[in-house]
Amino acid sequence: MNKYKKIALITGITGQDGSYLAELLLEKGYIVHGVKRRSSLFNTQRVDHLYQDSHIDHRNFVLHYGDLTDSSNLIRIIQEIQPDEIYNLGAQSHVAVSFESPEYTADVDAMGTLRILEAIRILGLEKKTRFYQASTSELYGLVQETPQKETTPFYPRSPYAVAKMYAYWITVNYRESYGIYACNGILFNHESPRRGETFVTRKVTRGLANIALGLEKCMYMGNIDSLRDWGHAKDYVRMQWMMLQQDYPEDFVIATGVQYSVRDFIRKSAAQLGIELVFEGSGVNEVARVNRIHGDKVPALKTGDVILKIDPAYFRPAEVETLLGDPTKAKQKLGWVPEITLDEMIAEMVAYDLELARQHALLKKHGYKVAVGKEK
Amino acid sequence: MMKTQIKTQPEAHNIALIVGINGQDGSYLALSLLDKGYQVFGTTRDVFSSSQSNLQSLKIGHKVKLLSMAVEDFRSVLSVLRQVMPDEIYNLSGQTSVGMSFERPVEAIESIAIGTLNILEAIRFLNLPARFYSAGSSECFGDTHGQKANELTAFFPRSPYAVAKVTAAGLVNNYQESYGVFACTGILFNHESPLRSERFVTQKIIQTAAKIKKNPKITLQLGNINICRDWGWAPDYVEAMWLMLQQKVPENFVIATGRTVSLEYFIESAFAYFNLDWKSHVRLEPALMRPSDIEYGAADPSKAKNLLGWEAKHDVDQVISMMCSAANENTLLTSK
Repeated sequence: MNKYKKIALITGITGQDGSYLAELLLEKGYIVHGVKRRSSLFNTQRVDHLYQDSHIDHRNFVLHYGDLTDSSNLIRIIQEIQPDEIYNLGAQSHVAVSFESPEYTADVDAMGTLRILEAIRILGLEKKTRFYQASTSELYGLVQETPQKETTPFYPRSPYAVAKMYAYWITVNYRESYGIYACNGILFNHESPRRGETFVTRKVTRGLANIALGLEKCMYMGNIDSLRDWGHAKDYVRMQWMMLQQDYPEDFVIATGVQYSVRDFIRKSAAQLGIELVFEGSGVNEVARVNRIHGDKVPALKTGDVILKIDPAYFRPAEVETLLGDPTKAKQKLGWVPEITLDEMIAEMVAYDLELARQHALLKKHGYKVAVGKEK
Repeated sequence: MMKTQIKTQPEAHNIALIVGINGQDGSYLALSLLDKGYQVFGTTRDVFSSSQSNLQSLKIGHKVKLLSMAVEDFRSVLSVLRQVMPDEIYNLSGQTSVGMSFERPVEAIESIAIGTLNILEAIRFLNLPARFYSAGSSECFGDTHGQKANELTAFFPRSPYAVAKVTAAGLVNNYQESYGVFACTGILFNHESPLRSERFVTQKIIQTAAKIKKNPKITLQLGNINICRDWGWAPDYVEAMWLMLQQKVPENFVIATGRTVSLEYFIESAFAYFNLDWKSHVRLEPALMRPSDIEYGAADPSKAKNLLGWEAKHDVDQVISMMCSAANENTLLTSK
C-alpha cells in the first residue's frame, strides 16, 4: 500500500469553506497546510478544533502566516511544502465591502490568484501541483440566461465580481498556456453555521436568534427580494476536492438548481423558531411583524412586534437580482449532488445561533456586560 | 456614496486628458482633438525620460501639455485629474503587447486593470463630471471561430493582457451602472499606422521587407502566420473614440473594418509592395509562437455605423500600402 500522504495547501483556511475542506481532507488522510493572515485578534476559531501543537511529531495540520498580497511569502510557503493540491479559497469575499475597497479587493482576489499561479510556474510545479480556484456565481451578475451554467456569459456587477472574473480567466489561461491542472468551481451561494456574520443568511439566523432572546429588538435588511440558489458549504467543499481528482481539469458550476428569495429565507428561519411572520408595506417602508408564535423558543417576543425593517444603506450600488445555477454538468460528469436541503441547513444554522444567543443571554442574566457584535 | 452627474447635453468639452499620449493612438488622438479645438493634456510615465517620438513625428509635441503620471499609483492619478479637471479622459495607457504579457503578467493587470480602476476611483472621488473612454481590445473575444464578434459576443480572453482588458471593461461597466459615471469601452480590433512600434508583427513585417529590399540576405522570422485578423487604420479609430464620448448615453462599441484577412495575406501584400516574393525571405520560428494564441478574429462593426455614424475609411490593403510607403521613405531618408 502506498504510504505517501497527499499534501494540500488551503488559502482562506480560517473561513467557512476552508475549515470544512480542511476537515474533509484530513479525513481522507491528507497533510493539510493553511495560510492565515496575521491579526492582533485570534482569527482561527473555525479551525481551532483541528489545531495540533507545534511540538508533536508528524503533524498533519499546519498553519502558516501569509497573505495573498505577498508574492515572495506565497512562493516560500509553496516551495517549502511542495503541495499536490492548492485550494485558493482566500479572498476579500464580501460583495458590499468591495464597493468600499475596490483596489484591495482586486489586489487579493485578482492578483492574489495570479501570484499563486506564478508561484507554481516559478517553482516548476506545473506538472505536480493541481490548482482549485474558488469562483463565484456573482460572475453572472446581470444574468444573461437562466439558469446559469458553465457556458453562460459573465456580467459582473461589483468590484468583487470583476476581480473574481479576472481570477477565473487567468486560471483558464494558465491551464491553456502552461498545462497546469487548474480549474474553477463556480459556486453559487453556500452557507452553514460557519458563514461569516455579515453575509445575509447568517445575518438573518443570528439576528432572529438574538431577537428571540431579547438581545436585539429589530434587524435591518437590504434588498429582501433578491433571489438566490443556496446550498450547504459542506456539500460544496466535497465538490472542490472532486474537481482536483479528475483526469483533466475542467470548470464546473456548483449549485442546487433551486431558487428562493431572501424573504423566503427569513420566513423559513423564523419558522424554525416558531415565529410566523407577516410582511407589510412596500419598498423601503416594508416591515416584518410577528403574526403568531408557536412553542416557547422566543420568550422575548409577542404577537405584533416589528422585528425587521429595510435600511437602504444595505442596498448595493448595482444589485444582482437573481441567481440560479444549473448543476447538470457536475452531476453527469462527477456524480455530484447536494445532500443537505435548504430546510435542513436553515434548521442547523438557527439551532447554532440560538445556542450562541442562549450563552450570551446567560452571561447577561448573571450581570456580565457583553455587547452584541454588530455590522459596522 | 457620491454620485457623479452625467452630462445629458453635449456641450463645449474643451479640455481633454489623454492618458498614455505618446503611443500610436494617443498621438493620433491628440492630433485630432487639437484640430477640433480642444486643449489637450497628455500623460506619460515620466515626462523627462519620455522620447515623445510619436508626438514629434506628428509635429504636435509643442501643442500638448505633458504631465507625468503612473496609472498604477492612485496619488499620481488623483493629482493629475485634480490639476487638469478635464471634460474628457481617454485612457490609452498600459502594457500594449499580448506577447509581453506572458512574460510580465503582473505588469499587465497593474497597468491595465488597476490603472483603469484608479482613474474611475479618482473621477468618483473628485465628483468630476468628466466623460471617460477606456481602450478595450478585440483580444477580449479570443477566437471568434469564424463568427463576427459584436458588442453582445461573450468574452473569452486567451492571454494575461486580454484577461486584464476584460477586467478593465467589467470595471467600466460597473462604475457606469453603480455611480452613473459617463464611462464606456471601445472594443477596438487591430489598428495600425507608421507609428506602430516594431514590437507589433505588422510593423515588423513591413520594416523588415523594406530592409530586405536593400539587403536580400536578411530573413524575416515569424511565429504563426495562419492567424486571421481585422486590421484597420489607427487615425480612423481615434475618431470613433471621440464620437463615443459625444453620445447622450455611454455605450460600448466594437470598432473594426469588418474585413478579416490572414497574416499570410498581410505578408504577401507587404512584400509585393517592395516587389519581393515573401516565400524566399520568411522563416517560421516555433519559438515565436505564443503559449496560447487566437487563430481567427473577426468583427461586426454595424452598431458603430448605426449609432455613431462611424465607418473605417481605410481597409487592410490601404493600411499595408500606407505603412509600406512610410517605411520606404524612412529607409530612403536614412540611406541618404
